[in-house]
Amino acid sequence: MLSKQEVISTLEMLRHEHLDLRTVTLGVSLVDCASDDVGRFIARASRRIETLAAGLVATCDRLGATYGVPVVNKRIAVSPVALVGAPFAPADMVAVAHALDRAAGNVGVDFVGGFSALVEKGMAAGDRALIDAIPEALATTSRVCASVNVATTRAGINMDAVLRMGETVKATAEHTADADGLGAAKLVVFANIPEDVPFMAGAYLGVGEGDAVINVGVSGPGVVKRAVERAIEAEPGIDLGRISEVIKQTAFKVTRAGELIGREVADALGVTFGVVDLSLAPTPTRGDSVGEIFRSLGLASIGAPGSTALLALLNDAVKKGGAFASSYVGGLSGAFIPVSEDLEIAAAAARGDLSIEKLEAMTSVCSVGLDMIALPGDTSAEALAALIADEMAIGVINRKTTAARLIPVPGKAAGEQARFGGLLGAATIMSLPHGCGSNAFVRFGGRVPAPIQSLVN
Amino acid sequence: MTQAVISVLGQDRPGIIATVSEALLASECNIEGVSQTLLRAVFGALFVVAMPDDLDAETLAGRLAAAVEGMELDVIVHAYPATSDVAPPPAEPFVVTTHGPDRRGAVAALSGVLARHGVNVTDLQAVFEGGERPESNVMIFQVDVPDTVALPDLKRELGATAERLGIELNIQHRRLFEIMNRV
Repeated sequence: MLSKQEVISTLEMLRHEHLDLRTVTLGVSLVDCASDDVGRFIARASRRIETLAAGLVATCDRLGATYGVPVVNKRIAVSPVALVGAPFAPADMVAVAHALDRAAGNVGVDFVGGFSALVEKGMAAGDRALIDAIPEALATTSRVCASVNVATTRAGINMDAVLRMGETVKATAEHTADADGLGAAKLVVFANIPEDVPFMAGAYLGVGEGDAVINVGVSGPGVVKRAVERAIEAEPGIDLGRISEVIKQTAFKVTRAGELIGREVADALGVTFGVVDLSLAPTPTRGDSVGEIFRSLGLASIGAPGSTALLALLNDAVKKGGAFASSYVGGLSGAFIPVSEDLEIAAAAARGDLSIEKLEAMTSVCSVGLDMIALPGDTSAEALAALIADEMAIGVINRKTTAARLIPVPGKAAGEQARFGGLLGAATIMSLPHGCGSNAFVRFGGRVPAPIQSLVN
Repeated sequence: MTQAVISVLGQDRPGIIATVSEALLASECNIEGVSQTLLRAVFGALFVVAMPDDLDAETLAGRLAAAVEGMELDVIVHAYPATSDVAPPPAEPFVVTTHGPDRRGAVAALSGVLARHGVNVTDLQAVFEGGERPESNVMIFQVDVPDTVALPDLKRELGATAERLGIELNIQHRRLFEIMNRV
């Protein structure tokens, strides 16, 4: 029999602390759909997605109801389109994006990821075509997400690709100028991209994966925040070791709930279960914020001195608790600090308590990078590329995933508001020193060599 | 050997289990199972025992009553009901919880819905501290829902009953609570 405490503590998380399963993402391999005829590829790929994902939403809803844990997002991740559509021209790639958008709509999911290329060492024809297609593809679809991996610890940083992505981010924002550059919110540039990320916009199905797989992303910043606050109230003199323990125990519970439902969804769909991504992923809702945890732990605001140390403790404790709860952990697995998607982080940025430089420092100890940052519309492609290069360097040197999802908001300046809607939220545009001019460094091109793996200081 | 079920009920105090079990030992009864609980200051326990062939329930009841004399306990010895060969229908364990103002008739109304659907209550804990504070009035039913019951129908009817009573109700598979709270 369950104890009253077991029942009540679990219910508390569900009723008041926004415990949910943030995403169940079905990975679908399109490798064997490949064809040099784009029409044939689209027909095969659409049929594959619509067959495998036909029951995804209903199954997630049914199991969510059985356990009383809402599955907030149901999504699809496909093989990198640059690879499976390698023979196609940019216009064909746009047609593929439209087909993915339709297929995702037909099965009722809100996002499909995998409009992606892996170019850390060099660019092939398919990669170039896909990157050329990104601005139009993201402007003319609503569900498609794109990601491009431009760096790894083993390959170094492909600076030609970095510059190209600076230009692509800029063009994508301009293609969606009437929506504050929304297209760029669906485009992420990565270093060390994992093959099994369930979260958007970076989800794609890695080339080492099977035909189909379910990966789940758990969340729970609100649960962690309340657990920390309860512990501080209940235990006078509590120290950071004990607080870390409380976060671990909370992450354990959240992870267990996510894996339980993920495995049952996978069983019901007849698909392999992949991993749990242990991330603290906020939404623009009060009480569901990573930024609020900083206040609960005694900082005036996220961004104040102490923020990087606090985030390091938080991120590590979440990983430890989650890794004990599940043997299959992967994806990004860390706290997210997406500015527009977190009310408290967005407010700190608006107040001037949180600068882009402090955000960059914080990304060295957490997942995933400079995320959902609104920049002035006159930020140059070169400055965007240079900012991306900085973020890639942090990932490459520290052997971790980092990413940049930057939105240069067309026609708007620092201090103005950008609104992306829904889960993508809203943010005050941050200033970027030297953001307008040219940047000769990123024009050198070539590849930043892979870093030495000893002499690690 | 024959079996008996003994119920013991009364004001809680140290020594109840010791007194009853010593009396059972003296009568050469073997304890096969015990379930004991405390509700506020009231002690309640059920013992399933195997009695020697020359002992009957009435005699044992007399000996137990003598043993607990002065302890203000009600002890009843029941002849053990014949075990049924009919297995319970295949079922899944769920937990029904309610929060809300203390409403007279809430337990009756909800357990009535469960009974109509053939749902067996395996454990019930309810705390009514009174008043309108939802967190002070909590019911936790652990139940077995037969596989033949359509969960959405049960949920809808429980939900409608809870709404009429002005309380919040959740029904969730028990596995969630086990997997989140136990290593």
